Amino acid sequence: MNGDDQALLPGTVAEREDELEHGLSVISPDEVPLLPGEERAHPSPFQYVIIFVILCVITALEIGLYYLEDDLPWSLIVGLLLVMALIKFVMVASWFMHLRTDKPIFRRFFIMGGVAAITLFTIVLTTFRVFD
Amino acid sequence: MAQATLPVPSGSQHDDHGHGHGHPETTTGTTNTKLAMWVFLSSECLFFGAFIATYLLYRGRSLKGPTPKDVYNIPFTSVTSFILLMSSLTMVLALAAIQRGDHRRFRVWLIATALFGLTFISGQIYEFTEFYREGLSLSTNTFGSSFFVLTGIHGMHVTVGIIWLLSLWGLSMQGKIEVQHSEKVEIAGLYWHFVDVVWIVIFTVVYLIPA
Repeated sequence: MNGDDQALLPGTVAEREDELEHGLSVISPDEVPLLPGEERAHPSPFQYVIIFVILCVITALEIGLYYLEDDLPWSLIVGLLLVMALIKFVMVASWFMHLRTDKPIFRRFFIMGGVAAITLFTIVLTTFRVFD
Repeated sequence: MAQATLPVPSGSQHDDHGHGHGHPETTTGTTNTKLAMWVFLSSECLFFGAFIATYLLYRGRSLKGPTPKDVYNIPFTSVTSFILLMSSLTMVLALAAIQRGDHRRFRVWLIATALFGLTFISGQIYEFTEFYREGLSLSTNTFGSSFFVLTGIHGMHVTVGIIWLLSLWGLSMQGKIEVQHSEKVEIAGLYWHFVDVVWIVIFTVVYLIPA
């Protein structure tokens, strides 16, 4: 790695050596250079782990709900499962795909595709009476 | 604190207007590569939406079995779903590592992501084999056709992602992925996370919601 590349690295030399030796939490995300299209710094590795744990808990709840099929009304189970899937979808898109820290143009494109898909296929499925 | 922006690698179009953005001057204020990936992912929403809608349309209209209830193994699919979720975590950790110039951890997280992806695909192959043994094939009934096409196309996307990740890993081993190439890793990550969010929808709509 040449001198120019070294200058791009976040933190001080001592901080980087400490991080290499002990883990990922020494250098603040604010010190990491922004990628093209980013408005704010990405989350820290610790925040990523927290998001992952929340996603795992929601997935476990979804699986638990599947086994309550005989105890709860069908519409309630479907409603809860769809809400939990939506929460997981938004969390991955916002945190792991960085939509919350990137320029809004990416968010707009993605939402446009998602809304178009949901609208189009809801119309198709309604036409074929899938929801009756 | 004002943050620096990573410059694009040599060979790309640089901002030479003195604006200090470090990336090409575009009307959108970002690189065309990243924007193109988001446009592609936006179109993929419609692509997968078509197959999910087809599955919902056909799954309850089979004239003969097996039906979803007969073949689904929810505990097994739950494990593979957790594995794919875990691969999303290792992918963002790989990006965080390369942005910090930590090549060793970058390679570890990247290969872990590819291995989790391979485990997911192995699970899918096992699941398909089991379904076939239980009498469900692509041509058995409408449920079989729509299920195998939907999950098979998702599996193909995961396979492409694995090849992409292994290519990045190979380039990194040759010293060709440096901190200023972080955007390449981010774009591969966007694709990988999209495959994960599609699975989040498939797992709920196809496997968990009772017919």
